[in-house]
Amino acid sequence: MNAVEIKDLYKSYEDGKIKALNGVSLTIKDGEFVSIIGPSGSGKSTLLNMLGALDVPDSGSINVAGHDLRTSKKLNEFRGEKIGFIFQLHNLIPNISVRENIEIPMYTQKMSSGEMKDKALKLLGDVGLEDKADILPNKLSGGERQRVAIARALANEPSIILADEPTGSLDSKTSSKILKLLIDLHKDKNVTLIIVTHDMDVAKLADRVIEVLDGEIISAGDESLINSKIDV
Amino acid sequence: MSFLKFILKNPFRRKNSAILAIVGIAIGIIVIVALGGITDGLVNTFEDTIHAGGADFSISGKETGDSAYGTNTIDANWTEKIANVSGVEEAYPIYVVLTSVGDDYMNTLIGIDPEGTTLADISMKEGRIFKDNASEAILGEIYAEDNNYKVGDNIKIDGEEFEIVGIYETGDQNMAGGVFTSISKVGDLMDDEDSISNIYVKVKKGEDPQAVADKIDELYGDDIATITSVMEMQQMGDMLNMLQASTWAISLLAIVVGGLGIINTMLMSVFERTREIGVLKAVGWSNKKILTMIVGESLVITIVSAIIGSVIGFAACTLLGPQMGISPLFTPKIFIQAFSIAIVVGIIGGLYPAIKAMKLPPTEALRYE
Repeated sequence: MNAVEIKDLYKSYEDGKIKALNGVSLTIKDGEFVSIIGPSGSGKSTLLNMLGALDVPDSGSINVAGHDLRTSKKLNEFRGEKIGFIFQLHNLIPNISVRENIEIPMYTQKMSSGEMKDKALKLLGDVGLEDKADILPNKLSGGERQRVAIARALANEPSIILADEPTGSLDSKTSSKILKLLIDLHKDKNVTLIIVTHDMDVAKLADRVIEVLDGEIISAGDESLINSKIDV
Repeated sequence: MSFLKFILKNPFRRKNSAILAIVGIAIGIIVIVALGGITDGLVNTFEDTIHAGGADFSISGKETGDSAYGTNTIDANWTEKIANVSGVEEAYPIYVVLTSVGDDYMNTLIGIDPEGTTLADISMKEGRIFKDNASEAILGEIYAEDNNYKVGDNIKIDGEEFEIVGIYETGDQNMAGGVFTSISKVGDLMDDEDSISNIYVKVKKGEDPQAVADKIDELYGDDIATITSVMEMQQMGDMLNMLQASTWAISLLAIVVGGLGIINTMLMSVFERTREIGVLKAVGWSNKKILTMIVGESLVITIVSAIIGSVIGFAACTLLGPQMGISPLFTPKIFIQAFSIAIVVGIIGGLYPAIKAMKLPPTEALRYE
């Protein structure tokens, strides 16, 4: 089964002056690890937003995790159940503990406080931060915060993780650790992982690399990187 | 962590801003509670005063003016004429004179039939009512206290010895410093048994005192004047209504000022948490949940303000009121009013920022720097 099926997707801004997506078609299989690369303004983040139902296309069809996002009325429920987001900046809530930050997505589910707490602690264990559960995010290093953000993304057991430059604000050593964690979790939990990145080293870790330029997919397989015209 | 706990924690992320908002709204609540307590206290005192005396209104000579205790006289036979007016239940004359009492060269001596004291605004604190035509007197508590008189002492009134048989209390400052004896005794002392100062009138049950007073004015208005307690009550009532209206006006002002303050605080909060709201949307929070969170945070601030304002307003009035001669009365209604206003302010103040947050496109919110 396919995790993502997109056909002839168009999205423009400022009354059509900026064509962010220009007839994009793409298929991603369940459990696949895909990276999307392209220069700034190429449309890769717009594509990611479309996949996560954070934005809606002007035309075309988009089916993610079995949901037709053009006709679905409850996109927030779709996001809460099917998608886990990881952003370049961790975006943790500063006044609540690390564990409580992981519980935030669980408010959309029918769970008791005890169940939420147990699940959050288990996820913290998965990202190696079980001993940091009760401290505030500002007491953590940048890498640790991003680990918490990964745990938060997994809170509702999504079928797809969308990561937008997840290592963009980290040093190379910490980046490697975070990527290893993401890849391990993707394999362990059989989650489809889609990473948007500028970093070719990060992109190459994926099963498949999708290149985006001027709102179009110019290559949907890693072999195309050999003759890539994109300066990433 | 429950959703409620999350809402309770959030408003205090920006402590200074939250404290300022709380202070602003609490001041409004203090004023509402204090004014409410003072107004209710005044209403209570006023009603006690009005209902202490059984008379519905009094009658005086035209030239006496609007004082119920003037010393100008009218003919004693007016009592019978008034008693015969339809609707009148009882009419008792009083005779008010200024004469030497004890060591005072001049004080107010009020003569009334012993049975008529039920119509006067007095109640016995000690002792008993004087007997008719006896050399007995009762003293107002202020006069007795100031001059160290007790029940059983003698007092010289207009050169004649009287026994003090009782001490009375009254809400009427004019009478609290005076002395009562029987009207026949005052007539003796003044050597004038055909004059009286006023007539206390009580109307029959079911009769409108104002209508009876109007009837008397119609019949005898050229010679006498009616001073109705009802009228006094209406005047006092008007004053209290004004006070109550001003309480509501201040409440309204508190709503406006507090509402603007809370809108500002919550708007700043939403503004500063734009990315966070974007994340909440990304992880699946519905617009309704975001609205609940922000309005809830706003309510936390206003309810904390209401608690602080109510406690301070109550404490300040209770401690300072008696020193200013005010006996505040705090009814549940006052606190219900204060908390209702706080809740209305909280909802109104939180709603606009919440709608702003709801309308934020998630992609823009997440891009916000």
